[in-house]
Amino acid sequence: MKIQLTRAFNTIFDNKVAQQPLSAAFLTIAVFASTASQAQDLQVEIAGISSNEGKIYIQLFKGEDNFKNGVAAAASIVDAKEGQVSVNFNSLSAGEYAVRYFHDEDNDGQFDTNFLGIPTEGYGFSNNAKANFGPPNYSDIKFSVSDENTKIVNRSTVNY
Amino acid sequence: MQRRYLLKAMAAVGAGLSLPHANVFGQTAVSNTINVKHLFNQAIQKDDALIGLADVQQNYTEQSLKIDGKLPKDIHGYFYRNGPAKHERGEQRYQHLFEGDGMLQRFAIGEGKIKHIGKFVNTPKYAHEESAKRFMFDGPDTKLTVSSAVAHADTINTANTNIIPVGDDLWALWEGGSASVIDKASLSFKNFANLGENSQYGDKLKRLPFSAHPKIEANGDIWNFGYNAAGTIVLYHLSAQGKTKNVGLINTDFRAGMLHDFLITHKHILLILPSITKDASAHGMFTSIRFNKHQPMKVMVLDKNTLKLARQYELPPGFAFHFGNAWEEADGSIYFDASLYSDVKILHEMSHIMQGKHIAKPATSNTCLYHLKANGSVDYQRLKENSEFPRVSNYLTGLKNRYLYHVGNTHDGLWSDSIYRVDWHNDTVESYDYGKEYIVEEHIPIAQDNNENNGYLIGTALHVPSKRTCLNIFNVAKLSDGPITRAWLPYHLPLGFHGNYSAA
Ligand SMILES: [Fe+2]
Repeated sequence: MKIQLTRAFNTIFDNKVAQQPLSAAFLTIAVFASTASQAQDLQVEIAGISSNEGKIYIQLFKGEDNFKNGVAAAASIVDAKEGQVSVNFNSLSAGEYAVRYFHDEDNDGQFDTNFLGIPTEGYGFSNNAKANFGPPNYSDIKFSVSDENTKIVNRSTVNY
Repeated sequence: MQRRYLLKAMAAVGAGLSLPHANVFGQTAVSNTINVKHLFNQAIQKDDALIGLADVQQNYTEQSLKIDGKLPKDIHGYFYRNGPAKHERGEQRYQHLFEGDGMLQRFAIGEGKIKHIGKFVNTPKYAHEESAKRFMFDGPDTKLTVSSAVAHADTINTANTNIIPVGDDLWALWEGGSASVIDKASLSFKNFANLGENSQYGDKLKRLPFSAHPKIEANGDIWNFGYNAAGTIVLYHLSAQGKTKNVGLINTDFRAGMLHDFLITHKHILLILPSITKDASAHGMFTSIRFNKHQPMKVMVLDKNTLKLARQYELPPGFAFHFGNAWEEADGSIYFDASLYSDVKILHEMSHIMQGKHIAKPATSNTCLYHLKANGSVDYQRLKENSEFPRVSNYLTGLKNRYLYHVGNTHDGLWSDSIYRVDWHNDTVESYDYGKEYIVEEHIPIAQDNNENNGYLIGTALHVPSKRTCLNIFNVAKLSDGPITRAWLPYHLPLGFHGNYSAA
């Protein structure tokens, strides 16, 4: 399967959620946390952050369709911190999840790209899935959350 | 077996990467199962001519050249060159000549002396891999067994193709991503140029492809294009200081993955799209490029003020990396020259030779002068001399030139061994044959007092038997007499692509 580069980059974040001002979009979807009795906590550790400037925008998706359609189950915006930040998503119901994020370095609430749609700000994915001129496959980003009551840690590094 | 020197193919060198390219998502990288390094080592044992393609381990510290002949007093400046030199790390050798990290060569000429230094461009890629002591990123053709994420083209920018003076700096150029800003005094990498900085464009030009063949007009304005394999071509009009004046985007159906050079006239930009396509079933960016003998070459003529398409021409199928110059006649017709190949075999030969493969019948190119007429028809004449690295005097860029300089092959071998001057006024060709022991690199004219009849031609050549590189200076009026200056390094330099002279 081949995807043209420009389009591929556009599909990283350029979807229903990201087309709105991101901060607003994030706030409206952050209430989706499950109320199931058996639930797990997820800790997303993001390393390699280049500076204290701006914020890190993180989205959590449940299932491939939601990921592809950009419908996030939860989201979080945290201040950037040189080195590493950790973000917790609590009480998740069992299932398949994926995380993507970007570093809004200039703090304008946008995932900035150039005229060809190539990111000009850092970005990354769960499992530290490898970018290659665009986003990795969903299969490399996804991870499972089971019914057991243990905390999951998912680590990755920002691609600048 | 007859030993071959000077790859014509090598003459074609300087073609690089049009990254970011149409990428394959979800495709498993092909690991480099053949040990290319081993194959090359075997080949070099049998053929000294390959030393120019061997890996370079370190920078060259300052070295005075031993001068034969007389150094003209009126040459006082710097001759810069660029080319790939880091071809191997550990057991890994790159499969294609265009993949290696760039190394800058500087010859400081004046006061009876010539001094050389050579320095790798310390791009982020080079810096990462230098500390890791291994290649970390897949190349356009070479896939590693273990490779790191490539966030965008500048992650793997090798800055390996050309070098031009811009303002107080130098720019080392690649074609897949940004220009690398180089400190003139130290030849150190400073940063990637962000062409929109402090302008209305902001970061919108950051990381866009910027070709290695900008054209600089006599007034200093810099014109360039950048090619993205989705078919989008970015057009740039910059000031002499490298500040963006205007930028345009043109969508084309040209998706071969590589577009290397272009031309300007005083009014127009010429994008010349060769007869190549991408084989979607093949792996590797260069490997997957195919010649299509049914596909005309296309010339898109764009207005320099609006950066919009003015008209188009179709030419017979062909392929070229390089063009010398274009100019416009009073009747609105346009002339331009190309070092024209009949197919794209040359591109693949530059991979074969890196892997130590014997090239039985090397591809050849000849100068072709096209005439694009105002009524839409096209004429052309093809010269018989072998031709690559065409150059004209800087001050005539986009204006009518009488002389075209190029290198080529007289001894019917693999490598360039001669330099040529085509005279469009008299329809004659003058040449100088270095001899088959030499591998001749790009030569550039230095016109004195903006008069192409006066001045010098300067260029390097690798003398294979003694394994030394020499710098050569010719009087343009007496080219066939041979160099008036030949200055020797005590060792050889890696074969490079393009260079430029800058007066002190
Ligand atoms: Fe070139």
